[in-house]
Formats: sequence, structure tokens, C-alpha cells
Amino acid sequence: MSDDMRDMLHESALRIFADNPPDLWAVLQGAGFDKALLAESKGGAGVSWADACGLLGLAGEHAAAVPLAEAMVGHWLAERAGVEDATLPTIAFSTHPEQIRLARARDGWRVDGTLPRVPWGRTCTHVAFILGPGTTAQLVVLARDAAGVSVTPGHNLAGEPRDTLLLDGVVPQAVVPAPFDAGALLAVGAIVRSALMAGAIERALGLAVEYANLRVQFGRPIGKFQAVQQNIAVLATQAAAARVAAEAGTEAIDDWLAGKGEPLTQSIAAASAKIRTGEAAGQACAISHQVFGAIGFTEEHDLHRFTKRLWSWRDECGNEAYWSLALGERILAGDTKQTLWRTLAPAASGAATGVAK
Amino acid sequence: MNNFVFPRPRQSELGEQLRAEVREFLDGWHGDRHAAAAFGGFDPEFSKALGARGWIGMGFPKRYGGGGYGLLERYVVLEELLAARAPIFAHSVADRQSGPLLLKFGNERQRDDILPRIAAGECYFCIGMSEPDSGSDLASVRTRATKVDGGWLVNGAKIWTSSAHRSHYMILLCRTAPVAEARHAGLSQFLVDMKTRGITCRPIVNIAGDHDFNEVHLQDVFLPADALIGVEGEGWQQVTSELALERSGPERFMSHQGAVEEFAVALKQQRSAEGARTLGRLVAHLSILRRMSRSIATMIADGQEPALHAALVKDLGTCFEQDIPETLRLVLQTEPEAGASEAYSAALANVILHAPSCTIRGGTKEVLRGIVAKSLGLR
Ligand SMILES: Cc1cc2nc3c(=O)[nH]c(=O)nc-3n(C[C@H](O)[C@H](O)[C@H](O)COP(=O)(O)OP(=O)(O)OC[C@H]3O[C@@H](n4cnc5c(N)ncnc54)[C@H](O)[C@@H]3O)c2cc1C
Repeated sequence: MSDDMRDMLHESALRIFADNPPDLWAVLQGAGFDKALLAESKGGAGVSWADACGLLGLAGEHAAAVPLAEAMVGHWLAERAGVEDATLPTIAFSTHPEQIRLARARDGWRVDGTLPRVPWGRTCTHVAFILGPGTTAQLVVLARDAAGVSVTPGHNLAGEPRDTLLLDGVVPQAVVPAPFDAGALLAVGAIVRSALMAGAIERALGLAVEYANLRVQFGRPIGKFQAVQQNIAVLATQAAAARVAAEAGTEAIDDWLAGKGEPLTQSIAAASAKIRTGEAAGQACAISHQVFGAIGFTEEHDLHRFTKRLWSWRDECGNEAYWSLALGERILAGDTKQTLWRTLAPAASGAATGVAK
Repeated sequence: MNNFVFPRPRQSELGEQLRAEVREFLDGWHGDRHAAAAFGGFDPEFSKALGARGWIGMGFPKRYGGGGYGLLERYVVLEELLAARAPIFAHSVADRQSGPLLLKFGNERQRDDILPRIAAGECYFCIGMSEPDSGSDLASVRTRATKVDGGWLVNGAKIWTSSAHRSHYMILLCRTAPVAEARHAGLSQFLVDMKTRGITCRPIVNIAGDHDFNEVHLQDVFLPADALIGVEGEGWQQVTSELALERSGPERFMSHQGAVEEFAVALKQQRSAEGARTLGRLVAHLSILRRMSRSIATMIADGQEPALHAALVKDLGTCFEQDIPETLRLVLQTEPEAGASEAYSAALANVILHAPSCTIRGGTKEVLRGIVAKSLGLR
């Protein structure tokens, strides 16, 4: 995609989010953002993951209450499974493979079990997920209105639907050999969340700066007080690190899909994205609330739309502890004679940190 | 809002070839690895060996002894040296900031005379900025250079001057005009030969027991007219550009890498989920800091002066470094002992004792955050 096209897409998304029309989701769908990752021949925009995550950063920056991330990934998977009638496919990033069974009956596949905390499970048309390890992994797409699917509503702290789907002998719409395993899909989910978080953190910073220049105490704007300045500066450094971490993660997806980088489940950049943005999120929430004092603690004020999303997203698709453990174990399992540094910066390739050649 | 966009770092093919060469060189080198704080080691022979390979002053033009490399290649070499805890302290100031400063602002004689010697690893520099009464408030320096026949006469005192006792030159920041309305005016920078009469150096031992920094007295020190660097009275602008170089490099988050390496080695013997989780988190921080730092290197290589980005990454990087001992000690318990035969205990001792300085040297974290806050429009 040309730089002009990319800028246009970005601008148009920004305009829509800033307008925030009452039918925001319909407008985004109408403009094709949900299918942005699909090739142009498939009705998409053929954007890279880096570009898609740039759009998600905008969604995070505007606390957009829409399933954009899920639908982007959902369409991308549904297309791979040959499912064409999905208007709102979502993803189940199940981290509990033991809760779900896929079996072949005489007349086809059946799925039983539980898909916990499916984003927008109640309103989606389809759910895509991956089951089984390694090369035996299967990509499964279910229609939500198929017989045997029941929905128990739930939500995250920001009120975004996170519904549990009970599956009782459900006939899936498609089952195909998965192009990668559930671990890689979870990493994709984590990186997509990182992109959303980076945007929301930037907004928390923007709101804090704006308020610090407006709110007057002791005869001057609180932003004149050094204690406040220092805190906001820390927030700014966290915002910058989060953004860089999210970008490194999205580039790792692009490299992986282009066959340039390592498998996503081996990528340091992929695991680092969620670890770093998750940590930044915690600090961003604490500092921005501190700057706003009591007004920021009210339902009426906007701040919580961002901080509640951050508090939710950092625990979705694996939190910092989950990814830190995964990354640490991967490193310790490597060549015992290799130094940590040489694992991090492998010779003759910057792929491990998501840097393209 | 987007003050802090970090462009995607560019990878240099040549740099990656160099990485392999540097590793081969380091694998064949059996000198003394400084226990944990990289760039702590001072080893003239090592500096010369690097110079012979063209790995010092890598950004200099060829006529000044540069090897035809750019700053991206320099970055690769530097991070490899730091990761290996190589003793680069002798030449590192000259390589990082004094050389580039002379290249940018120095006169032809200074460049001709000095840059090739820096590149050969035979000429070391110290930084004469801080004074007893001027730390964070650097513009308040009181050391004065007065114009005299044929040059300048300098009087004053510098302090915390790292390696002053074993450096050939100092880049001196001092007043050349009385304090005016604009506090940043009237400052200038000079190239000072440390052998000049009137300079005395008194050692100051740090809490780790090392003698790195010094107090330097300058009494009626005569400097020839052409010792002036750049433009008289523009020392502040020049020093700001020098500080961007001082702040932006990988030494601002890799100086405790040795302890992390020893921790990883020890963990392999003593596996635990907590250990793996701690290691994973540190690696995530390190990899993101590295990306930010390489992004800055890319900006500098493209001719930009990302002073703000440098301040931000130094704050993040030094806080990360400082936190390393606090994190490690709770996972693999040991009683830290400097010089202990158990490598992890020695490394831990070393980083505990150096940690306080991370967020002080090169600009305190409070000062850096002030710079960031100002850029956000908060002052
Ligand atoms: C290991 C080491 C090596 C060094 N090497 C050199 C060298 O080679 N050459 C050289 O010139 N200098 C060197 N320095 C000095 C270094 O640059 C100074 O220590 C630093 O600039 C801080 O100055 P100070 O120590 O006088 O602290 P001060 O400026 O007195 O600060 C003390 C405390 O007050 C805080 N503070 C001060 N002003 C403000 C403010 N406006 N707002 C908020 N907080 C404030 C500081 O952040 C700090 O926490 C070195 C220092 C160390 C530790």
C-alpha cells in the first residue's frame, strides 16, 4: 500500500473516531475498517498489521466502544477458513485448551465445551478460534446462532462484552488445518491489545497535560508544580515506551507472516509488546488519576473510559506475568552456552527485536 | 500531542557484518571483564586494539582517521562491547562525545591534530562541566576564562571529572563573559591539554571504592587562542548538543547488563518460575529500550538532534538499570560481596554499589523529567 493510501485511511479513521457518531460501529463497517486486513480482492484494504495496529491505536485513543480489533482479526481468520457470510466475526483467545473439545462424528465435526470471555460474544455473527497444538492445530469457525450455542453475558471493567459461550454438540461452520497454533493466535491477540493500549495511554497523557494547565490551585495551574510535572513526565516516558513496544510487536507479526522473522511464538518482540504496554498501563492509570484528583474519580468524567479499558486490556490475552514467564522460559530453554545478549540480538539479523532487514 | 514519535530503527547491513566480526574479536579476547558495570574497565591496550580495527571514531570522515563507517555501525560495535563488559572506559568519552563535538565545532587544527589519535584509541578525554556549586544548574558555572595576550587565562575548579587523572584532554565549559540577563549566554568551550601548567587533579573515591572521578583545579592556566572550540559565547548551545550524545547511547541502559547475564547463568542451575518471569520481564524492557535507543541513533545518523528523545530514553534507561539489583536480589538470594568468587554475588555487589549513580550522572532524572515536562507544555 502506498504512503498516500495509508495516510488517507488513517485520516479517515481519525475523523470518524473524533466525530463519534451514535452508530459508530456501522460507520466503521461501512467504511470497511473491520475488513482492513483482507486483501483488496477479498473486499479488504490489504493493510499490513503495522497499519492495522495504527488504526487500533486510534480506537484506543478514543476509547471507541466497538469490536474493531476482534473483527479485524476475525475476518482475517474467517477468510482463511473459507467462511464468507461473517458480518461480525470475533475471536476466542482461549487460554484454556482443556475446556474445549473438537471431535469428528460420523456426519462431521462437533464442538463441546466452554469458550470463556469471548469479546462481543453476544452480538457477533461468528466466533473463530484455534484448537490443538503444533501441526495438528485446527482453525474452527462457529456461527453464533448455531444450535447448541448458549451465551452467558459478562463484561470487562469498561463494560465491553466478554461473554462465555457454552457449546453443546455444536456443528461448526468450518474446520480447517490451522496455519499456526493457538499460541500464535494468543500472541496476535496480545499485540493487538498492546496497540489499543498504546493509544489509550497516549490519551491519558494528553488529558493529564490539558488538565494540569487548566486546574488552578494555590493561585497557579497545578502543571506549574514540579511534583505534578515530574509525574506527568513519567507518564510521557511510559507512553513513548508503550507505543514503541506495540510497534515492535506489530512488525513482528508482519515479518512472521512474510516469512522473514521467526515464528511469532519465538519472537522476543511479540512477547515484549504486552509486557511493556501492560506495565506502562498501570503507571499511566495511577498517574493520570492522581493528576485529576477527585473529579477524575467520578462516573461523569471521561478519564475512566480510558483507564478502565487499560485496566481490562492489560489482563486480557495474557498479562505481564504470563508473557514474562513465557519469554523467560523460552530464553532459559535455549542454548546454555549462548549469552542472554546474543539471544536478544542474534547475529546477522535484527528479526528478534522486530526490526526489518 | 505526538512529541515523542520514535521512527522505526534502520538496520545497517554493514553493521550486522560488523556485529559478527566484533563477536569473533571478543570471543578471542581473554582480558579482564569488569565484574558487572560495563564501561568501568580502563585498559589502554584494549583501546588500541579496537582503534587498530577501526572501531573507535567510527563516524569520523576518513581523513580524520574514521573507517568510513556511519553512526549506525558505531552503535552496533558499542552495544556489543557493552554486552561483553569490555574495558572501554579509556576511550569511551572521546569516542562518544568529545570527538564528535570537535568534529562539529572544532577548528581545523584541533580536528587534524586530535581526531586521528582518538580513532587510534590513543587519546582520552574528560568532561569539565560540573563544579562544586554547579551541578544540575550547569549554566551557573563560575570557572572563568579571561582574554589575555595570545590566548586565555583560566581560573576555577571542576569536580566529578571522570578519568581526569588519566585523560589527555578536557573539554572545558566556562564563563567568558559576565553573567547577563540571559543566563545561558557568555559561556564557551575550550580544548584543554591536561599537562598544561596550573592544572591539579585530586582523586575522589566513590562508594564502590574506585577512583574514577576527580576534583580538578585550574589556576592561572594559559590556553592559546585557538584552544577555543566553536564560537565564543555559544558554549551553551554546543554543550546541549554534546549532552544529547552523552545521554542517548546504549550505555544508559546496558551498564548493568553483566549482572543480568550472571543472573541468567545462575538461573539455569536453579530453575524457578519466579526466576523465568523476572528474566522475561527484564528482557522485554531491554528489547524495547534498545529499539528506542536505535531509533535515536537512526535520527542522529540522519542529521537530526533528538535531544528530547535522548532525555526521555535516558530517564527510562537509567531507572531500568537502577532497578536491576532490586529485582534480582529478591529472586536469587545471596549476600552480595564485591570480588566474590561466586560470579553472581560479585556482579550483584557491583551493581548495587553503582546503581545510585545511574540516575545522577549525565543529568539527574529530575532534570530530565523537567525537560520532558517542558516539552509537553507544562512550564
Ligand atoms: C559517577 C559520576 C560521574 C560523573 N562524571 C562527570 C564528569 O565526568 N564530568 C562532569 O562534568 N560531571 C560529572 N558528573 C557530575 C554530574 O553531571 C552531576 O552529578 C549532575 O549533573 C548532578 O549535579 P549534582 O551532583 O551537583 O547534584 P545537584 O544538582 O546538587 O542535585 C542534587 C539533587 O537535587 C535535585 N535537583 C537539583 N535541581 C533541581 C531542580 N531544579 N528541580 C528538581 N530537583 C533538582 C537533583 O535532581 C538531585 O536529586 C558525574 C557524576 C557521577 C555521579
